[in-house]
Amino acid sequence: MFDPITIEILWRRLLSIVDEADSAVARTAFSSLLRDAHDYTCMFTDRRGRELAQGTFATPGQSGALALGIQKLVRRQPLEAYRPGDVFLTNDPWILAGHLNDVCVYAPVFHRGKVVAFSASVFHHSDIGGRVASDNHEVFEEGLFLPPVKLYDAGVANEAVFDILRWNVRTPDEVIGDVRSQIAANHVCSEKIRRLLEEYDLDGLEELADEICDRTERSMRAAIEKVPDGTYRAEGVIEQVEGRPDVVIRCAIHVRGSDIVVDLAGSSPHVDWGGNVVYHFTYAYVFMALKSVFDPDLPNNDGCTRPIRLEAPAGSVVNCTFPVAVAARMQIGHFLTEIVYRALAPVLPDRVIAGSGGTPATMNVLYGRRRDGRPWHTVVIRGGGMGASARRDGAHVYIFPANGANTPVEILENDTPLIVERRELLPDSGGPGRFRGGLGRCEVLRVPEDACAPGTSVSLAMQAGRFRLPPEGLEGGRPGALARFLVNDRPGNPYGLTRLRPGDVVTLDAAGGGGFGDPRERDRDRLAADVADGYVTPEAARRDYGRGGRSSVPPPPSKRSSNPPAPPGASGNG
Amino acid sequence: MPGKRYRLGCDIGGTFTDFVLLDDRTGALHVHKCLTTPQDPSDAVEAGIRALSERVPGLVEELDELIHGTTLVINAILERKGARTGLLTTRGFRDVLELGREIRYAPYDVMAEFPEPLVPRRRRLEVDERVRSDGSVLRPLDVAQARRALDELLAQGIESLAICLINSFENPVHERALQRLVGEVAPDLSVSVSCDVLPQIREYERTSTTVTNAYVKPLTGRYLRRLADRVAALGCRSKLFIMLSSGGITSVETAAESPVRIIESGPTAAVIAGQYWGRRFGVPEMFCFDMGGTTAKSCLIQNGRAGVVPTFEVGRVQRFQRGSGLSIQVPVVDLMEIGAGGGSIARISRLGTLQVGPESSGALPGPICYGRGGVEPCVTDADLLLGYLDERYFLGGTMPLDREAARRGVEDRIAKPLGVTFLQAIWGIHDLINETMAAAAKTHIAEKGGNPRLVTVVAFGGAGPVHAYGLARKLGAPRLLVPPNAGVGSALGFFTAPRAFDLVRSHKVSLEAADFAELEGMFRELERAGARTLAQSGAADEPVTFERSIDVRFVGQGAETTLPVPEPDFTRLDRAAVRRRFDEEYTRLYGRTYPEAAVEFIHFRVRARLPERLLEMQRLPADSRPLEQAVKGVRPAYAPGRRDFAPHTVYDRYRLGAGATFDGPAIVEERESTLVVGEGARVRVDEFGFLWIDLPEVP
Repeated sequence: MFDPITIEILWRRLLSIVDEADSAVARTAFSSLLRDAHDYTCMFTDRRGRELAQGTFATPGQSGALALGIQKLVRRQPLEAYRPGDVFLTNDPWILAGHLNDVCVYAPVFHRGKVVAFSASVFHHSDIGGRVASDNHEVFEEGLFLPPVKLYDAGVANEAVFDILRWNVRTPDEVIGDVRSQIAANHVCSEKIRRLLEEYDLDGLEELADEICDRTERSMRAAIEKVPDGTYRAEGVIEQVEGRPDVVIRCAIHVRGSDIVVDLAGSSPHVDWGGNVVYHFTYAYVFMALKSVFDPDLPNNDGCTRPIRLEAPAGSVVNCTFPVAVAARMQIGHFLTEIVYRALAPVLPDRVIAGSGGTPATMNVLYGRRRDGRPWHTVVIRGGGMGASARRDGAHVYIFPANGANTPVEILENDTPLIVERRELLPDSGGPGRFRGGLGRCEVLRVPEDACAPGTSVSLAMQAGRFRLPPEGLEGGRPGALARFLVNDRPGNPYGLTRLRPGDVVTLDAAGGGGFGDPRERDRDRLAADVADGYVTPEAARRDYGRGGRSSVPPPPSKRSSNPPAPPGASGNG
Repeated sequence: MPGKRYRLGCDIGGTFTDFVLLDDRTGALHVHKCLTTPQDPSDAVEAGIRALSERVPGLVEELDELIHGTTLVINAILERKGARTGLLTTRGFRDVLELGREIRYAPYDVMAEFPEPLVPRRRRLEVDERVRSDGSVLRPLDVAQARRALDELLAQGIESLAICLINSFENPVHERALQRLVGEVAPDLSVSVSCDVLPQIREYERTSTTVTNAYVKPLTGRYLRRLADRVAALGCRSKLFIMLSSGGITSVETAAESPVRIIESGPTAAVIAGQYWGRRFGVPEMFCFDMGGTTAKSCLIQNGRAGVVPTFEVGRVQRFQRGSGLSIQVPVVDLMEIGAGGGSIARISRLGTLQVGPESSGALPGPICYGRGGVEPCVTDADLLLGYLDERYFLGGTMPLDREAARRGVEDRIAKPLGVTFLQAIWGIHDLINETMAAAAKTHIAEKGGNPRLVTVVAFGGAGPVHAYGLARKLGAPRLLVPPNAGVGSALGFFTAPRAFDLVRSHKVSLEAADFAELEGMFRELERAGARTLAQSGAADEPVTFERSIDVRFVGQGAETTLPVPEPDFTRLDRAAVRRRFDEEYTRLYGRTYPEAAVEFIHFRVRARLPERLLEMQRLPADSRPLEQAVKGVRPAYAPGRRDFAPHTVYDRYRLGAGATFDGPAIVEERESTLVVGEGARVRVDEFGFLWIDLPEVP
């Protein structure tokens, strides 16, 4: 038995171990999507495959899905069949986070001759071959599909797997380098776990895992219990390929004591493009919503998922079946979080936020060849303005409910022949409200036509949304601005593969967040400061807030935290 | 030993300025502490030197080195009291500073706040220019337009300017042109240029670091120049070094130019001192705890070594949350700083609960008991009322404390509104600040792979020894160490700091293609620059040694692995040996290496150092006097175990002899600080006058 202080110490230690593995990725990865944009997740489980700790900056889609998938993976063979030096790899979308680019590398951790844990990482690889676009029909078009295979067998490399990878992707050095970074992350994780067990003279992690997970479960349940029993419903309408009916997701949240069942019955069937979502990915963003509402502070592990059950009909867009296309699953999957928020807003008005421009995240895949024939390839991800809440304005430009960082302009230009002409906030894009939605931002890319022009046309594929339906406000707040995708100032097709020629200019405007509360109630000084800093134009101040914006104002409050406290109307938990 | 006799360490904190004078002939220490003078901090420095030279005749003439650290810079950032700063940047990129890296540091907390940039959008203006990633000019600088942007910023009354253009680390031609323009238009304006401050790829990190530098540059420059002048006016002809955040030192000129490198200057001294004691006494895990008037700094020291990290954050808006602060890319000792000090203000929160800190009353007005106009109860007020401090012996009796005013303040502002007893109020303030520090400490220790139940807590700072016992109890730590002169003890770190400068040059070249003779030339150039800077600080007569290292990575990676290069001549190395060294280190760190994959050099580093100067600790004279002669008396102080006041024996630290032992509850007083020891603990005085306290087992 552990005393409470030891548990606390060991728990924090487990978290710092996984964060060390996480930072090993930043130090060893090759592609900017990993080392700069942080599109990866590290975690480890106990010997039964139950998640114990995940990286602080993990993206919820990968971590939530991996927590389910890793249990299935490690149980594919009996524990006795694992040998020291074994390393496995798979990118099965139905086991992991729902598209082929997410590749999982996992390995057993041995201590005193026995498996005590599994270290695992999922990286979003910048390329996995296939036709890179959102309008494929089947997963076969989307790239290389690797079922769970041994990458190392008792320490001996399985060169065949490396060769298959190498010959199926556009940038083999980068992809192989990134797989090696996954191996490095697992190594760091397992070394530190072993050291910890030695130091505390423990045979395994079982007992500690039970303690930590049980405590986490209790904390989650205590928060859920505060919400009155009942069924809370919402419906989400999501735009899709031009000419098709909008996708509808029906969500019923049944709260019974400390248990929650989320039922998505009645949601639209599969779509005939890549927007289909596997069960694990749907689960991940339903979980994200519930965790953030009920118990955002405690670190994630197996315990906090126990009170939650998800039902999603097989064959629907939120529980798609092999072999439909899945590459663009975030275009629909990311919406699950805001749909859950909308269902819970009546009982938990001060725990949720309005619609966000970073839902869904935007991803751009750009590739081609340089003048000298060398291939180049890059993937950038981007968010939009966050929705406002009962407490404060939405933050500008974040990916939500997923997470990830931008690729610095200087890195992007170093890795590609492209020129970034602008990357800045879009005035007036935040939804007006008592609290304003966060601003979206634009990015303007130019394909050079001078001596630095690429040798071939540039391919651009993207996953994005909010071109027709903007992020909604809450409690009388107004919607944020729409996203835009322009090629040479004319609307482009976000679902297909766009070919760009030298001289072409691409404009990518991210949507703004929805506002919260009536815009006429907005604090006058804050509005004036918004105008002085150019977040809101004087015309919009008059039009949207019913007030003239003054051009010169006293200095704004020096900290964003100086937002006024929540109004008396917004009560605490349920 | 040739040379002059004395070294003086001086540390300006938010509340107090500490001095430690070391006599290198005898190892004797003289200490002094006075209130910081926020209007002009060099007032306190001058006053301190004068006060010390009255006690130590010949000090001014015999002063060899003045080593200085300060928290002025960080406090200016935390309190947002830096210069009104403007930013000139490339057309299309005014929001780089505000956008940051766009990652949510708390993925599941949708209400998470983000720090406000130091320069608001209205003072971030764009100029028409563009440099490509290869350094070639895509669009020449439009000087006329730049002039208009500059005029607009000047019209907004900026006191400092940051210049940060896209890709300037590859080619600074436009940044230099803007710098010249400012020189013509506004020659007196303080300017920070990104190619000087941080010539590295990634525009947000470079902008943020440059802007932070600009934000604190005017006040740091003003202060350091005045300090140098005043020290000279006193007749001192000593070397003058400024402590860097990384634990090294630098010259006044360099510090004034790059104040962003001395942000953690003050706190670092305590860590350096801690490292020294850790090695000296062979303590494997030491938790260095330095609590002053405004903040508490702590750091885990393992086997006599604290970590140095390449980047850090200031002003985290969410306590302890990595990612919630402003990013600064300079090397810094890996310490943790939180807003908890003697001056931390106790208030009632919106939820109707007691809240202590992070706001501090600083030196002015200070706690109520200082009688300098403070009206809000602070931690020091509670410590006084709990009987831990003696109102007649604060700072050795030079600063009388007003107990009655403190009592009224706590009664009226805390006890009555909360509906608790007076005793609950004062103990609550003391205990809550300990709890806050313990929570932060546990996180820090665990993150570094330590165990709070094995650490020896070493306490520094005016408030450190008052709170160390409570903190150690909460950590479950078995032992507490209090060095002599603990109230100013962190300033001892100035004497044990490596007297070294770090230099770096970026040059990307593959191992296969590298011209080793050219690299050797680069190393020599860095070494010459290091030697020059050391000479500037007044150390022209001492021998300089150099340590070289290289940062290497696989071609295509985004970060490097550092390898030491002990060989004095790079041309003597062969490619295979360098490659082997990389593969060995990579395998050690990450389990495997890939010898067929090509590697490249990225950075070349040199550390230029002066000979290490050791600190001879003075032994206590043999002392056979009975312990009783060190007892000043007995006074009632709060004993948490009994939930009431209990008699505490009060010892005079200056009369405690080597080998003395006694049990808690006890209070040990020295001029600059007071140690509180709880019931059941045993105190032992060692031959150097260090107090070793064994804590009773935590039940």
